Amino acid sequence: MLDYTVFHHIAWPGTYSLYFFVIGISAAMFFFSAMSWYREEFKPLRQSGFYLSFLLLVLGGLLLIMDLSQPARFLNMINPAYLKFDSPLAWGSLNLATFGLVSVAYFFMLRNGDEVNGKRLAVIGALLGLGLPIYTGFDLTVHQHRAVWNTPLMPILFVALSFLSGAAVASFLTQGNEKLRAILRHFMLWSGGATAAMLVSLLGTTAYGGTGAEITFMFMTSGTMGLIFIGLGMVLGLIVPIGLLLAPVGRQPVGMMVAGVLLLLGGMALRYAILIVPQIVHTYY
Amino acid sequence: MSEELRLSARETRGKPGLRRYGMVIDLRRCIGCDACMVACKAEYDVPLGVFRTWVPYRVVGKYPTVKKQFLPRLCNHCDDPPCVRACPVDATYKVEDGGFVLQNYDRCIGCKACMASCPYNARFMLPEHRTRTNITSVVDKCTFCYHRVIQDLVPACVQTCVGRARIFGDMNDPNSEVSRLVARHATQVLRPEQGTKPHVFYIGADRNMNEYGRGVYDASEALDEERAVFNRNHTS
Repeated sequence: MLDYTVFHHIAWPGTYSLYFFVIGISAAMFFFSAMSWYREEFKPLRQSGFYLSFLLLVLGGLLLIMDLSQPARFLNMINPAYLKFDSPLAWGSLNLATFGLVSVAYFFMLRNGDEVNGKRLAVIGALLGLGLPIYTGFDLTVHQHRAVWNTPLMPILFVALSFLSGAAVASFLTQGNEKLRAILRHFMLWSGGATAAMLVSLLGTTAYGGTGAEITFMFMTSGTMGLIFIGLGMVLGLIVPIGLLLAPVGRQPVGMMVAGVLLLLGGMALRYAILIVPQIVHTYY
Repeated sequence: MSEELRLSARETRGKPGLRRYGMVIDLRRCIGCDACMVACKAEYDVPLGVFRTWVPYRVVGKYPTVKKQFLPRLCNHCDDPPCVRACPVDATYKVEDGGFVLQNYDRCIGCKACMASCPYNARFMLPEHRTRTNITSVVDKCTFCYHRVIQDLVPACVQTCVGRARIFGDMNDPNSEVSRLVARHATQVLRPEQGTKPHVFYIGADRNMNEYGRGVYDASEALDEERAVFNRNHTS
């Protein structure tokens, strides 16, 4: 008799977390660009924020398409004859495509200096942009058998991570505007605090879940994944930069820059661990 | 099941005028010969490293009274399948008359949302290169041998099972063998708490075997080595 151990692949590899990362920053950068129409302090981010948002949107779209095993069929995702609205991916692809179209239109408004329509599109684009982290979180939430993923926190956590990483990137583009830097520091602190609170809550419910959840918790908090999630994500990428931002040096450009780099590192590590760990556990089932 | 208890419009168990196929696996009869795996591989030219059906086992007891417990696995053709809900392009669908959960290979984009949503690991990605067919780089799974069943044959794994451990039939027919077995024996389904209403029923399954084993966290060195070899040779 043949004795053979059957293993299973994880469905979504690490490149998806990179997609979550860039698309989250893209959404937040568009939001900051849109804010420039309502708050004078955000003016330095109107052009630079938008261009970076658009660049990351293109990069995210390419990452998403290349991760399909049939990349040439990506148009099926927006084909009305095929779309099935039970799936959050279908809503996500529509959200992504609409955000892309609005971004292109916004680009022309900015170039032509059309303030009235630019302002309108900024609001629409910002709302559609917020839809991106919401749908990516929702995309994980709907898988009912996955510990960590299957929690209503996911979409909100991804929005917080989006603002966190976006504010970190925006802090590099302030062009010496102190008021903007102060606002972005608050963005980082508040979204960082919200992220930390949600992660603690997530770890608590996971640790006290069923067997699958308990094993997921153990994988998340020990070994290589523990190093990524706790070490890089929570300690180096969240607690240290929040502490730095709260210290006097955190109000200085250098302190903010260091905090921003750490927050970006942490944002990527957290997304990676949240994506991968629940899948590792399931490969053993 | 009464009409009132049906939660999803997709469910067809107990729906008058429709067939709802299911499988009973009597573990008291399974000898772990893996003939079902081989028959399935032969029927579909299933590539190396992936399986439409597989037979994991666990060794229980203490020497000299040890035995292997088998738990043949396959797609559960759920009555409320999460994979159908997850697919953004309707490439995964449920056949209303029969309850087969099938895959439209021409439409699948390979986003793997169905793989992520399946609580049973029943889905896998086909490799880029195959010798005898051009169905490549799309998600595949057990079809309950749809092509055989519509010709009044049983699935290949059922046909070949030497111990007659696998029994297949219409759960909506109260006189079918599967309906009688489910009615008369204590049966279990895998992960009932997920609410997927699986249609593979096990007689004699060890409850400890159909949940995550805590051992996976502290896997043996041999298991880790095997996994490393698997990952090296089967990149999805």
